[in-house]
Amino acid sequence: MRFMMVVIPQGYATAAPGTMPDAGIVERMTRYNESLTKAGVLLGLDGLHPLSMGARVSFSGGKPKVTDGPFAEAKEVIGGYWMIQVKSKEDAIEWARRAPMPDGDIIEIRQVQEMSDFPPDVQKAAGR
Amino acid sequence: MRFMIMVPGNEESEAGFLPENADRDKEMFAKMGKFNEEMVKAGVMLAGEGLQPTSKGARLRFSGGKTTVIDGPFTESKELIAGFWLIQVKSKDEAVAWMKRAPFGDGVVLEIRQIYEAGDFGPALTPELREQEERHRAQMTAKRQS
Repeated sequence: MRFMMVVIPQGYATAAPGTMPDAGIVERMTRYNESLTKAGVLLGLDGLHPLSMGARVSFSGGKPKVTDGPFAEAKEVIGGYWMIQVKSKEDAIEWARRAPMPDGDIIEIRQVQEMSDFPPDVQKAAGR
Repeated sequence: MRFMIMVPGNEESEAGFLPENADRDKEMFAKMGKFNEEMVKAGVMLAGEGLQPTSKGARLRFSGGKTTVIDGPFTESKELIAGFWLIQVKSKDEAVAWMKRAPFGDGVVLEIRQIYEAGDFGPALTPELREQEERHRAQMTAKRQS
């Protein structure tokens, strides 16, 4: 089973463009990534620049509308993710527990849909 | 430059794929499949995944050295995600141009976010950490292909 561990850092909604993590966090994260790699569970990971550097595309009336960040009303903003392959949701939770997160941060664990979860005709419609 | 695009969740995605909606879902998959095909052919799409409803997920809250685990669903959250793409393009404008073509109906709002690359971190990413990071990426690629 694949799980996505989505990081929601406290206060990231208001982070200014160009915000960078400090050296201590980068070092702790790299060490944690090393443990995921050694265990053979890590499939992918990325960190995201602040939402203030991002954009939104809204679909309405057949016409997409583009708005650049920042977005004042944003609350839970994603800071990054890990994609892992483990045997159960409990395993995913155990890995998330060991992540070196600062106080106030949240990790949301979500199972990834596999093509094999869908009936054959749906798989075919998706071009598989 | 790499970008991550978040697709928001809603009541339908939270309910999961139900047999009574099979025809509608099949149509959506066909449209998505076609859009993905275009991005793959253009060499833009790196990954795209759908996520199971939050009822199958959990949240961990880190506070004061203690970790609290809360099982889904997370109905109180207005910022649920149901899926994402990772794309590689030359600019944010190009990312936006691709996403304007995504086959979504009224009310959907996509969020486009630039991904940090190793070069963005400056001196915080020491040569040792960078070497380690590159090794992790090589092993992740190998694992995904296995």
